[in-house]
Amino acid sequence: METDTEKKLNSNYRILVVDDDQEILTLLTNWLTREGFNISTAMSGEQALAEITGNSPNLVITDLYMNGMSGMQLLTAIHSDNPLFPVIMLSGQAQIQDAIKATHLGCSAFLTKPIDQTELVSQVRQVLRITKDSKAGDGFARNVLYRSKQMVELLELAETVADSNVTVFISGATGTGKEVIAKAIHEGSSRCNHPFIAVNCGAIPEHLLESELFGHEKGAFTGANTRHEGLFMAANGGTLFLDEIGDMPLNLQVKLLRVLQDLEVRPVGSTKSYPIDVRIISATHKDLEKSVNEGEFRVDLFYRLKVIPLHMPALAERSEDIPLLADYYLQQYANRNNKQLKHFAPAAVEYLMSSIWPGNIRQLINVVDLCATLCKTNVIPLNLVKKALQDRPQQIKTLREVKQECEKNYLVSVLRISTGNVANAAKIAGRNRTEFYKLLGQHDLDPADYR
Amino acid sequence: MSLEKIIVNIDPDLEELIPGFLENRIKDIEILKNAAGQGDLAALKSVGHSLKGVGGGYGFAKITELGAGIEASAIINDMERINQLISDLTDYLQSIEVKYQ
Repeated sequence: METDTEKKLNSNYRILVVDDDQEILTLLTNWLTREGFNISTAMSGEQALAEITGNSPNLVITDLYMNGMSGMQLLTAIHSDNPLFPVIMLSGQAQIQDAIKATHLGCSAFLTKPIDQTELVSQVRQVLRITKDSKAGDGFARNVLYRSKQMVELLELAETVADSNVTVFISGATGTGKEVIAKAIHEGSSRCNHPFIAVNCGAIPEHLLESELFGHEKGAFTGANTRHEGLFMAANGGTLFLDEIGDMPLNLQVKLLRVLQDLEVRPVGSTKSYPIDVRIISATHKDLEKSVNEGEFRVDLFYRLKVIPLHMPALAERSEDIPLLADYYLQQYANRNNKQLKHFAPAAVEYLMSSIWPGNIRQLINVVDLCATLCKTNVIPLNLVKKALQDRPQQIKTLREVKQECEKNYLVSVLRISTGNVANAAKIAGRNRTEFYKLLGQHDLDPADYR
Repeated sequence: MSLEKIIVNIDPDLEELIPGFLENRIKDIEILKNAAGQGDLAALKSVGHSLKGVGGGYGFAKITELGAGIEASAIINDMERINQLISDLTDYLQSIEVKYQ
């Protein structure tokens, strides 16, 4: 049985059922309405086409043999406008040639009568890319929408570590939702009734970050007219989320390390230290290991923070979550602006799923909002999505570009290991010096930079 | 001789639909009997096909089975078999006791 949340999600989908047998229409309407789907019906192919134009369903389920226009003709007519439109075909005859022909014409699924309820619902979910185990509203991370394997694994680990004091380090590109997971961990812990404070270490100027984190005494420096307790003290008993920790200056890294070791803070200008009980969750979009290798991040702090590493997948890596997320943000838009709920056309959803999303979820939200704002009808078409995504051109690289990038990274590593000694670097790379120099020239690399 | 009761368990969510569904089957029997009397194989095939498609979905697998038999027999013009199946369908509809569980 569906949960209320799943039914609510299903209510975003409109399904048109076409059959010239009223009892089949009644039965299928009963089954699918119980799952929360919005159902409309048509008793002929001709009526179905009119219904599609008027109401833009997300899926059509049609009988194959009907008086007048057959299901196969209806499928062809639908696909002449939109070849990706999902159609499920039903047939009273289990004839293999019909199934082959329907599949060849682009039918999403072919079911024989009598229809099995479970099979039909399962096919509908599959075609609409809804899975039974899509997570929303569960106990842990109830604000996170997902069904992809990557997110299931990530959140299982996050839930396991939530109710402990262990230090968590979250890596992942910008806009992947690192703070959302950090907050979910806080809310899933015994600290949930205490503050969750997030601070972006890269957004605060270096000279302010120290007093922001550790506090300062009155008169500690020019302009310190009052005492400031600092975020560590403010988060006492709760969780401090240090975002973009990779941008923290080296001198502050030392102080942070001391706080983590001693579990006490000493505000700027104070001679006294104060005990703190704060869980630290840190995050960065940077390759922190690389920063350590390059001497930009302290290795001891790195290991102190990275007790439990979690990696947020990029949106493109969890593309099966995109329909769920896009619907959710459309719902949010409608609620926020008091507007009627809109839907993405199936082809538009396909396009969203195949896009690269360099800005990840943040970019998806922008695109959804833009589409919802610009679309005059209830169904957001493919061309509008394409237009909305043009602001951020697709950044998929050519194979040549990827090879070039990989080669350059490799040469830089070799130069670093050999401290700029070309003879040694060439030996490691298995090339003679002349060839190696040529490669360095191609990538505009100067060995002197690595000595 | 009274027929032995056949208990059919039906999904409670379909309870509202079942009386109408069974009334339509009684009407189907009349249509089938008339079609058989007139040797109207096309009508027999059509009603058989419809019974086959609709029966199991509502929870009456036997109706699907009998409908499939009528459709197949109409295709090969086996009137004797068709009359037997219509009689079986009549008996079945008179014997069933629906329980919603």
